[in-house]
Amino acid sequence: MSSGSSSNLEDLYLQSYSFTTTAAIIGSVDRKVFVLLRDGRSVIGVLRTFDQFANLVIHDGVERIYLDGSRYGESTEPQIFLIRGENVVMMGELDIDKEDEPLEKLTRIDYGAAFGEWKKAQTEIVERHTIEDKQLRSKGHLTSFLTDEFY
Amino acid sequence: MLPLYLLTSVKTQPILVELKSGETVNGLLENCDSWMNLTLNDAVTVDLHGKRFEKVPEVYVRGNQIKYVRMSNDIIDKFKEQNRGQNRQRPMQKRQQRNGRDRDPRERRNGNQRIK
Repeated sequence: MSSGSSSNLEDLYLQSYSFTTTAAIIGSVDRKVFVLLRDGRSVIGVLRTFDQFANLVIHDGVERIYLDGSRYGESTEPQIFLIRGENVVMMGELDIDKEDEPLEKLTRIDYGAAFGEWKKAQTEIVERHTIEDKQLRSKGHLTSFLTDEFY
Repeated sequence: MLPLYLLTSVKTQPILVELKSGETVNGLLENCDSWMNLTLNDAVTVDLHGKRFEKVPEVYVRGNQIKYVRMSNDIIDKFKEQNRGQNRQRPMQKRQQRNGRDRDPRERRNGNQRIK
């Protein structure tokens, strides 16, 4: 009872300030979140802490890879992830009552297989851009997809 | 507790570092700094295809090349215990300081205020 009212007070306190930029995610601390990384993979877990660079610490985190053909792979062992902010595309809170609903429409495959498939797709992108970059450079265009856009 | 503080608190523990390039480094964290630069001991590096494994006794990782750092879930429990120990020690240290001559200047100023 007392803990409930104190957390309400905390919420009121947080709501009375309009945090912008990175500080806006303070409301998601200790909640289950979904983090999409720049490499296309995602991490699902409890957000424990963050800093001004959006470096995130995800507790009990699992990695999930969504693939074509309504398939996904998920790592089995929950771990702590310290994600460097640069690599984060987006982060959002999950409703733990509804988070599994969309997954019911997908088929789960082995994480190793999903990782392999994802890796293969990534390698293809790298190869394609290496060729493109080389040709563009020969025409006088300086591109830096591999160093700037792609991790 | 900031993310980098977590990193400093898991020194000597096994961690996995994935670089932006996709390569991974597995090893015991020796040290880290505020730029997230790391040094690891007894490391195993894996290439981006996950095929070439290499044993390295000591490795330095530049912070801006890191994608993420992964570590075992129960490391945080160890850290909690560590922290609890520190909290217990802290009042002791303060008492010792007050007896000694080398006090924190801020503490002295507070003392003056109280006298007024």
